[in-house]
Amino acid sequence: MFAAAALITATFTTPERIGTDPQSVLWLLPLAAAIAVVYKATKVSKIKAIAFARESVVLFGSIIIFMATTALVLFALAWLIVE
Amino acid sequence: MAQRSKESHTLFLLAVGLLAWLVPGAGHFLLNQKKRAAIIFITIVVTFCIGLYVGSIGVIDPVGAKPWYVAQIMNSPAIVVLERLSTAGSYPVYGRANEIGQIYTSITGLLNLLCIVNAVYVAHLRGSETTGG
Repeated sequence: MFAAAALITATFTTPERIGTDPQSVLWLLPLAAAIAVVYKATKVSKIKAIAFARESVVLFGSIIIFMATTALVLFALAWLIVE
Repeated sequence: MAQRSKESHTLFLLAVGLLAWLVPGAGHFLLNQKKRAAIIFITIVVTFCIGLYVGSIGVIDPVGAKPWYVAQIMNSPAIVVLERLSTAGSYPVYGRANEIGQIYTSITGLLNLLCIVNAVYVAHLRGSETTGG
């Protein structure tokens, strides 16, 4: 019991080591999923498992596609300015 | 009579808003929308815990990161307890872990604010339908 409590405390008092490599951008995914789920939970009139999951997935995909497009446009702009 | 009804309606809206702030999803639970309340509660709590796991409780910093703290406090008043723990001990956190932890905990706060506003709005609509206003 004490060991479990100590483990939980240690988990939330010591930061993870996250590098500044491109993979760290993947941390965006769980957050985008949470935003999609909570937003859809406030918007749909009636919650039915399959319809709700489908709507959340569509919103999640839209967020990711929009962010990827924005990143590509910014990358192209930066490339045009530098080159 | 109408005045009393209006006062009780306002009190009910305040109760819904306050409860939704105290516990994420509790506002919708009070409105008998249990599925919605469960989805909101689980999603917000899990995402907030991921933020704390990545950045530690050091990401709750009302002095060095005041704007982030304003968003974090929207999660629940329980953030004040975490803030006391964070300032009492020494939990320095820097770099990408700090950024990700702050973004996660602040975004969940803003999501909860959205849920608070939604719960109060739904309660208001129901009240208007009942009173015919």
